Amino acid sequence: MRNLVNFILKNVYWLLFFLLIFLSFQLLIHNNEFHRSKYLSVFQEIAGRVYLVSNSVESYMNLKTINSDLMQRIAMLEQEVRNYKKEVEILSELIFPMDVHEYESAYSNAFSFIPARVVNNQISRMGSNYITLNKGTLAGVREDMGILSPNGIVGVVIRVSPHFSKVIPILNPKYQPSCKIKGTDYFGTLSWDGKDSRYISLKELPQHAVFNIGDTIVTSGFSTVFPEGVLVGTVEDTFKKKGENYNSLKVKLFTNFSALNEVLVVVNALKDEQLSIEKVEDNE
Amino acid sequence: MNKAAIQRFLLFILLVLLQVWLFNNIHLFGVATPFVYLYFVLKLPVKMNRNTALMLSALMGLVIDLFGSTLGLNMSVMVIVGFLRFYLLKLFAPRDVYEDYVPSFEALGNFMFVRYVGAMTLIHVTILHIMESFTLFDPIKLVSQILGSFVLTVLLICAIESINVKGFKK
Repeated sequence: MRNLVNFILKNVYWLLFFLLIFLSFQLLIHNNEFHRSKYLSVFQEIAGRVYLVSNSVESYMNLKTINSDLMQRIAMLEQEVRNYKKEVEILSELIFPMDVHEYESAYSNAFSFIPARVVNNQISRMGSNYITLNKGTLAGVREDMGILSPNGIVGVVIRVSPHFSKVIPILNPKYQPSCKIKGTDYFGTLSWDGKDSRYISLKELPQHAVFNIGDTIVTSGFSTVFPEGVLVGTVEDTFKKKGENYNSLKVKLFTNFSALNEVLVVVNALKDEQLSIEKVEDNE
Repeated sequence: MNKAAIQRFLLFILLVLLQVWLFNNIHLFGVATPFVYLYFVLKLPVKMNRNTALMLSALMGLVIDLFGSTLGLNMSVMVIVGFLRFYLLKLFAPRDVYEDYVPSFEALGNFMFVRYVGAMTLIHVTILHIMESFTLFDPIKLVSQILGSFVLTVLLICAIESINVKGFKK
């Protein structure tokens, strides 16, 4: 017994080392589970406030690019509104069945948006990118809500505290939403290779899918996170690995992740309804 | 708490804030990130109880992790670095020193101090980048990241150290 105590006392440095290493590896391995735990969301609040300080400086420096981005977006939207007005004029002359209208408006009303600002954005680190937003549960943000920038898709909320939320962007190999080529129903999964924050790959696209360089990629709307047709990027290049039955596309992103500031949180009012009916079919 | 402990506590907070506000956002040429929070561990007194030093080192890593995105990554690296610090100090620091002897340019001599900083930094950035690249492996990027971060971290730590020395003399 005395020998054992002596041994422990002599090697307490080693034991402590192994204990700490074990602890930190536990944290590393169970990273995603800890993300959702409560005590971490308390720290999320503290970290968010610390990042708020550095962000107030950063947002000033980014104002110019953001402004020009917004102006371009406004111009595009105005053009679109004009087009729609023309279409409405033409359509209003035709008779349209009422019930179809009602269904469509119910669907488009399902999605509403909460504006938020990026307070922390770690994009260039390989493989482990996350974004912090300045809106949390008090503003109505919940886990698994989608995030859009004025230009296109950003990511999805994985953790929320009262005033902040943490977002896993599409520039993180752990998040792979399904997307399709605009105008077709061929879909694949987006995934990032960790090299360039301006490009992303669209993988597992069926071989027979027809597309051209320059085609637009949009979200498929299969999940409850994003509505159908959110802009992702344009096809830049195509490549296919030997022996694979799928095409892969190199996609140039619309969202500029290195100058991300104003974003929208997507709230899907029909989400619970959709999930509950999907669950029922699972159980059968 | 004595004066040295309070100073150490303030240094801890200052380094954490500098790291998360400033240095985590630096990716020089897309590869080099300075890990200046290592300075805290470098400046722990040589005679400090090695268990305490190891715990403090782990704590620093954990706090940096909580601000960052990968929980446990910096902590495990700092545990290893904090553990090896004891053996590195045996190599670099003189044996018989007084109680609050802290490694610095003056205490160790310029050349010896840079070697001590270099050895600790090299261990730190190598383990950190290797662990980070588990998700996406790219050997050329890995080596350039290790080299870039190593050079940048050593330069910055030496710069901070020389400012620190001048500050104390005044």
